[in-house]
Amino acid sequence: MAAAHADYTFRHEHLLGIEGLHLLDISHILDLADTYAEATRAGKRPDPILTGRTVVNLFFENSTRTMSSFEIAARRLGADVVSMPVANSSVKKGETLIDTAMTLNAMKPDVLVVRHSASGGAKLLSRKVDCAVVNAGDGTHEHPTQGLLDTLTIRRVKGRIEGLKVVICGDIAHSRVARSTTMALHLMGARVHLCGPRTLIPPGTDTWGAESAGTDFNAVLPGADVVMMLRLQLERMNGSFLPSQREYFHYFGLTADRLALARPDAIVMHPGPMNRGVEIESSIADGERSVITEQVEMGVAVREAVLHLLAGGRA
Amino acid sequence: MSLAILNARILDPASQTDAPGGIFIDKGKIREVRTGTKVSFPDAKETIDAGGLCLAPGLIDLRAKTGEPGEEHKETLATASRAALSGGITSFVVMPDTRPVIDDVALVQFIAERGRETAFARVYPAGGLTIGLGGEAMAEIGMMAEAGAVMFTNGDWPVASAQVMKRAMTYAASRGAIVMSRPDDRTLSGNGVMNAGEFAARHGLSGIPVEAEWLGAMRDVTLAEQTGCTLILDQVTTQRTLDIADIAKGRGAKVFTTVAAHSLFFNELDIGDYLTYCKVNPPFRTEQMRKTLVSALQEGAINAVVSAHDPQPPEEKRLPLGEAAFGAAGLETVLPCLMTLVAEGELSLLEALAPVTIGPASILGLPQGRLAEGAPADLILFDPGKPWLCDRDHLLSRSKNSPFDGRRLQGRVIRTFVGGKTVFERQDA
Repeated sequence: MAAAHADYTFRHEHLLGIEGLHLLDISHILDLADTYAEATRAGKRPDPILTGRTVVNLFFENSTRTMSSFEIAARRLGADVVSMPVANSSVKKGETLIDTAMTLNAMKPDVLVVRHSASGGAKLLSRKVDCAVVNAGDGTHEHPTQGLLDTLTIRRVKGRIEGLKVVICGDIAHSRVARSTTMALHLMGARVHLCGPRTLIPPGTDTWGAESAGTDFNAVLPGADVVMMLRLQLERMNGSFLPSQREYFHYFGLTADRLALARPDAIVMHPGPMNRGVEIESSIADGERSVITEQVEMGVAVREAVLHLLAGGRA
Repeated sequence: MSLAILNARILDPASQTDAPGGIFIDKGKIREVRTGTKVSFPDAKETIDAGGLCLAPGLIDLRAKTGEPGEEHKETLATASRAALSGGITSFVVMPDTRPVIDDVALVQFIAERGRETAFARVYPAGGLTIGLGGEAMAEIGMMAEAGAVMFTNGDWPVASAQVMKRAMTYAASRGAIVMSRPDDRTLSGNGVMNAGEFAARHGLSGIPVEAEWLGAMRDVTLAEQTGCTLILDQVTTQRTLDIADIAKGRGAKVFTTVAAHSLFFNELDIGDYLTYCKVNPPFRTEQMRKTLVSALQEGAINAVVSAHDPQPPEEKRLPLGEAAFGAAGLETVLPCLMTLVAEGELSLLEALAPVTIGPASILGLPQGRLAEGAPADLILFDPGKPWLCDRDHLLSRSKNSPFDGRRLQGRVIRTFVGGKTVFERQDA
């Protein structure tokens, strides 16, 4: 397995966010993920280094995509996986997050993968359990594996991160992807520009490492190497934060005309699931510059690397 | 077609000009303004001798309601335009509280289109700030602004939720749009029908307290300061509201204030024996408050005087005061109201004209409202001292609900020009 530096070891007990990771940690995870991605592409089964380990997916919010991605990653490495979509189960009723965690902890899992609607949910859980915790999205806070997979996707396509201009457009305020991806890319040396309706841009994005946060999508696109569109939640549309889907698309939708403002080799990304016609034109989402399916592919690789590092001994 | 107007008293608040002179107009625009007693423009195809009448920019009204679309029996853009031009108003902004509410791009385009087709005055649509003026969901502010909406307002229905207001102002600011808001906390003013106080209590009428205006103003100027949104405080009635605006301006907020012309003229006692034509919202306040408003206007502390034109047919007004509709027809009485204050020595002519010409033009960034080279030739010729008796039956507005009915006023418009063309000429002058 590739190691970033001879004297480096991954020392984190949990993966709760990009915040708190060192540049070397990220490089190390990406390098390892890269080897997993290559192995999968070559049709090779990786070493079953998680044999005998138990990974529990604890999803308090529905997310078929992310949960499946973690499940596949864990199985590829030989782990026993239990997926609990708590959002649909009786566990949700009356039982607090901590009660659920304590119950699961008593079953002695090795890794808990948690998604929760409350920001800080994964952190709270990590204080109460004895195993490693992976944050698979906590409220509007962080989604570190998404930040890592976005960074890996860009690095593989562009061959580097440093110096790239990345524009992230959409609901920045409520996006855990925007936070994690911005921080990861900034650590790796990219210039990240955020864009969206003023009502959906929170204060202090410079502390995440964003170079700018504006409302003029057309003005920020020139020179962009990467254009990442975020999903606009339906409940944010229609008047509470912005006027309408129509007006949103008018100013912030990614169309062929807008994409033409970016660099000719600019790639298009989206963390999914997409609202076609709301934030992105179908022809762009399915076009040759879209790397959206690669993002999904790298998601599994990154999660293999993260599980490996947290539960599989040193890489 | 070039036109010269000679032998006039040139009044231009923008340049602080009050002098005899003449003006040369070509292709709908002012080409030259010259002061002096022996001005002539020999190149002009047509010459008008003003005979010493005052020549000023046409008035700009930031707040008029019509019934188009939906309640054309109250007023159409065409009838409102006719009334406006006879009162010297050459540009007016129409409020979005129609049926349906102007909260959509197509409706903004409809108003602009109907204005061009049916009205000789310049008609500017205001867009609804929230869908249906419901105060819950913001309307398509950006796209309506692109379609020609010059401001966004919830009209007579101030947004109750501070959160909705903040988001709408945040969004409007990012699109460079102006928001106009009635400072009025409806949770306090409730079902009031006139100024709260001794007079209302004695007459058994529920009151609209001044605190409701102050609380509303404090909220909106605070949000203007925080969001960077340009805010027009619509129809202020007290000095303290102006003070609230001043404090916010001192902190960098972009806040403008307007006053309804009738609030400079009437006080709460004019309601007298339950006269519904004097039922307006915001209500006529005390005489002392009216006087301080006139002083503020004299000091230039009020950015614009508006007609607050709100046509209501008899069936809405021939009711007990509590049940009657709010609102007064006002397009035809803005200038006479101001000229009467001039005649009483409260204001100079330039002080009276500034808040109906350059004041509103500056807020909206319009090229008219001034006598300057290149400005549209929207002009009025008027006699500031002409006495007349306001008779509602002679008003041109389709609805006749004027509180000035039966009042003696001073000042009449003799001739009105829009884009250099005569669009009104008084026959009985």
